[in-house]
This record gives sequence, C-alpha cells and structure tokens, in this order.
Amino acid sequence: MVRGKRHRVLPGFGLTCGYTLTYLGLVVLIPLATLFLRTSSLTWAQFWTTVTSERALFAYKLTIGASFLAALVNSVFGLIVAWVLVRYRFPGRAILDALVDLPFALPTAVAGISLCALYAPGGWLGGMLQKAGVQAAYAPLGVVIAMVFVSLPFVVRTVQPVLADLDQEVEEASASLGARRWQTLRRVVFPSVLPSLLTGLALAFGRSLGEFGSIVFISGNMPGRTEIASLLILTRLEEFDYAGATAIAVVMLGMSFGMIFVINVLQTWSRRGAV
Amino acid sequence: MSIEIQGVTKVFGDFKALDQIDLTVPSGELVALLGPSGSGKTTLLRVIAGLESADDGSILFDGEDATTRHVRERGVGFVFQHYALFRHMSVFENVAFGLRVRPRRLRPSREEIRERVMKLLKLVQLEHLGKRYPGQLSGGQRQRVALARALAVEPKVLLLDEPFGALDARVRQELRSWLRRLHDEIHVTSVFVTHDQEEALEVADRVVVMSGGRIEQIGTPEEVFHHPANEFVMHFLGNVNVFHGRVEGGKAVFGDVAVEHGEAGTATRSSEVEPLDDEAKPAKVFIRPHEWDIAVYRNGRPAMEAVVIHVNAAGPVVKVSLLSESGEPVHAELPLEHYRSLELRTGQRVFLSPRKVKVFFD
Repeated sequence: MVRGKRHRVLPGFGLTCGYTLTYLGLVVLIPLATLFLRTSSLTWAQFWTTVTSERALFAYKLTIGASFLAALVNSVFGLIVAWVLVRYRFPGRAILDALVDLPFALPTAVAGISLCALYAPGGWLGGMLQKAGVQAAYAPLGVVIAMVFVSLPFVVRTVQPVLADLDQEVEEASASLGARRWQTLRRVVFPSVLPSLLTGLALAFGRSLGEFGSIVFISGNMPGRTEIASLLILTRLEEFDYAGATAIAVVMLGMSFGMIFVINVLQTWSRRGAV
Repeated sequence: MSIEIQGVTKVFGDFKALDQIDLTVPSGELVALLGPSGSGKTTLLRVIAGLESADDGSILFDGEDATTRHVRERGVGFVFQHYALFRHMSVFENVAFGLRVRPRRLRPSREEIRERVMKLLKLVQLEHLGKRYPGQLSGGQRQRVALARALAVEPKVLLLDEPFGALDARVRQELRSWLRRLHDEIHVTSVFVTHDQEEALEVADRVVVMSGGRIEQIGTPEEVFHHPANEFVMHFLGNVNVFHGRVEGGKAVFGDVAVEHGEAGTATRSSEVEPLDDEAKPAKVFIRPHEWDIAVYRNGRPAMEAVVIHVNAAGPVVKVSLLSESGEPVHAELPLEHYRSLELRTGQRVFLSPRKVKVFFD
C-alpha cells in the first residue's frame, strides 16, 4: 500500500533548507575555505616554519595558557555568581543578573580601555597591585584579566539554568538520608552541575582564545611576552605577509574547531543517564 | 516508633497551613493523611520529617521531643511525590547513598553495603536493575527505588508524600497493594499523604481527614466512611446526594419523603443529632448513591419520584443519573444484575427510596 505524501502543519522544508545551506556557505564555509586557499600558497616547509617560529609558538602558548586560566577562574567564580543569582532573593538581584551580560554587550575596545585605565601602574587597582609587587597591565596577567572579563557570562549563563532546574527535593532527600551539607553539595549538587560547568568552561575557553579587542589595550603587545596569537596575525598582515597571517589563522581555526568538538562531547556526556 | 504531634501550627505569610494539630500515630501503624490540596497534609508530613519547622507546638518521637532536631538526625525515611532520585547515580548508588554518607565509624563496609542494597533491591523487586540510571526506569520503578533508598538507612518512621500521585491508574493500583504488603512485612511506622480517598481507605490502618489546616476526623477506614463526623468528611469520602430538608419527630424529611435517619447519637463536630426533638429543625440530608432502592412502581415505602436521564452500565456497578420532580439531580448506583431485572430506560419515571440517610443540622 502506498501512503500519500505526509502533510505537515508548516510546509517548506525545501525552501528553508536551501536558504540554510546558502547562508552557512556564504557566511561560514566560503571565508574559511579562502583561509586554506591563501595558506596553500605556502609550501609545507614554509608553512611549518611560519607556524612553529619561536614568536608564534610563544603566542599560542600565551593564548592557550591565559585562556585556560581565565576559564578556570570563571568556572569557580561564575559558579558562585550563578548559585547566588538562582538561590537567593535579595534587593538588586535583577540588576546583578543584568550586569552579568554586560561583557557580552560591551564593545571589547571599551572594556579594554577601562581595564587598562584601572590596572595600569597609575590606575586605581594597578597602583595597589604595583605596591604588592604584582604587575597587571602590560604583563601576561593583564591578558588573563581581560579574558576573565569577557568570558564570565559564558560560565554563568550555562550553569544558571541547570542550577535553576535542580530539584530542591533532591537536596531534601539527601539531607533526610543523613548527608551533611557539604556531602549534599559534593555528592548531589556538584555532580548535577558539573556537565554544564564543563560546557561553560569550554565556551569561556573558546571565547578567550578568540578575544582580541580588550587584550590589545592592556597587554602592551610585546612579542615573546604579552603578544597573543590574534595580534600576531594582525602584525603579519601589517607586514603584508598574507600567507604567514593565514597560516597562523589556520592553526587558530584548528584550535577553535577542537573546542567545538570538546563542547559537543561534553554535552553528550552530560546527557548520559538523564531523564 | 510512635509519633506524637502536639498543637502544631504553621503559617506561610497570611496562610495558616496548619492550625493547632494534635495527632498520635502509634508505633507500627500505617496512617493516611487525606485531604484536598491546600488542606495542610503535605505541610504536616514535612513538619514531622523536619523539612519544615513548626511555628508552634511540638513533635515527639517515642515520647522524646524532636521538634528542633535536624532532618538528618530524625531518622525518618522520606519518599517524595516526584521521587527526587539522584539522576547522576545508578539505582544501586541511589540506594547506597544513605549508607555511604555516614561518618566513617558508623559506615558499613563495602561488602555490607553491597549486601544490604541488594537485599533492598530484592525487596522492591528491582534486583536486576541496579546498574540502570533513574532516567531509564518507568515511574513505578523509580518510586520503588525511592522507597528502597529511604529504607536503606533503617528509618524508624517512613513518610510518603503522595507516593503514587504521579503514576498512571494501573501502576498506582498495583503499588498500593504492594505498599500494604510491604508494611505488613516490615512494620515500620508509616505516614502517607494522599488526596485520593480510595487509596487512603484501601491502604491505611487509620485515616486522618484534613481540611483547611485542621483535622476533621481520625478513624479506621470503615469508621470514616460509614460514620463521617461532619459534612466535609461525608462529601470528601465518595459521592453523595445532598437534600435540604428538616428533622421532624425523629424523622428526616426532604421533599415528600420522611424516613428514619438512624445512627442517632453520632457525635459531630459541627452539630449533634437529636432524634427525640419534636420540633422541626432544618437539616441537610445526605444519601450515598448506593443507598438508594430503585422501584418502577410505587410500593408503599417512602419514595421520591424521579426521571432517568442517563445510564452508565460499563462495569459491575451501574451509575444512573436522575432528575427529581423538584428538578434536583440525583445520582444512584445499583448492581448490574439488579439494573437488568429493572429494565430501566432513559426517560422512565421511577421511585427512589433511601435505605440509609445521614443528617447534619445546618
């Protein structure tokens, strides 16, 4: 028996899918393909020397290291922020909640300038740190600070809905079974939040990898000391070394892709055993 | 362990959830807290558990004051309506949780924990599902895991909050009789909350009917069903026909019908039946649907005339909807065989005589 064509309430698969493919092609795939095309003007040996030059290697190391550190810092403090926003009702909570999104909305250059003014040796916080013997601006620490700033919302906004969905009865069940507070936190609450926290960490890490605008102001951009990978690309471009710039860009692209992969794996993992 | 609740009051904002509750649950009994939503039954259960603190009054376990004791020190097992299982743990780990979180000196060894969890899983008939996660189980299975988890810490009191409320009718029926058998096996003092009168009457040793933060009646299922203390209990425990009538010369009178109302002397909180008073007093007359005799011809018994409107004969008990002469809807139930011998049709005029009535004065 031949069934008739299935009828949907909202038809238009052909149209929307065609649009999706065209759009993704134009916006994502073609620019990325150009990157590889440009890079391919280099020979393997040239490519390898470019992407493994001492300056480039340092830039990756700084970018990845600082990003990871920033993500780690945010996963601790972002979790606390999310916890407070979800669990407690207090005056000004809505404002605080909105404040979390500010790094999303703020032009990164604005963030960069204000951070720079604050943490520079003459600045309010920078001066205090200076006295304590710590240099924030124009040092790797400045890079981390800028990254922490821009990637905070990612952790908070990933963890927040999961915390809000946490059934408080589960905590009551834990307590009724004799668990102490920290046992309930460690064995019941934390494992439920962990997958989303890891996703948030990965997102914050990815965001920090790509951050440029706010860092250039505070880092001082010293090659081999505070120069991040994105800035190195810009420097290469300014030297009209297009192929060299794209070669480093390809490496960055690889890292970003790796991040997306990790995020997906984490999300799959977080759904195991879930209802 | 026995539970004594003395003058417990709990207020949420302007809402009085519990109003001076006094209740004693003897050791080993299975008691149902029955009432509509908002009656305070869940709040009372949570106060007993220590998940909610009473604003006034005290809770005694075996005569010992436990009012200020923290939930983890009360030794109660609590089963939640929506199971509240730990989703990231396997069934085995869920049940083992209460043993694993014990301080080291009280914690059983790995083998002992394993043995006890397996024994409990067997008790709830889930021994083959220990490795599964809660998300992979059906609702009935999850609730059994929750029960095993609560029993793992050997609670002296088991508290269940609408344990079958989220399950479908068949599973609910099964688990209900299973819970009754389980209780007969382990004899732990248990209190469960339900809004389902059938469930309460079927499972519990004693039923506590609540409304508006107060206890309306405490009694065995038979007592509360056959001798309701007041109108509320009468209404809440099953369907009932209500007529505004009066009591005159020892008889209940409604419409053209006057019958002996029996059950004289049943104390009620709202009123007292006084059968020997000759003066007519306005009263409400309650008749359960199954207490009607339906006759096709007038047979000398006091009866009200009514017209059959609708018949539902699907099941062993036939439900008949009628309209009395004065235009009031009347519900009656009769055995299928009897219904067949009467040959009732829609639109037919019949005569209804009550076998038993219950009277409450206004």
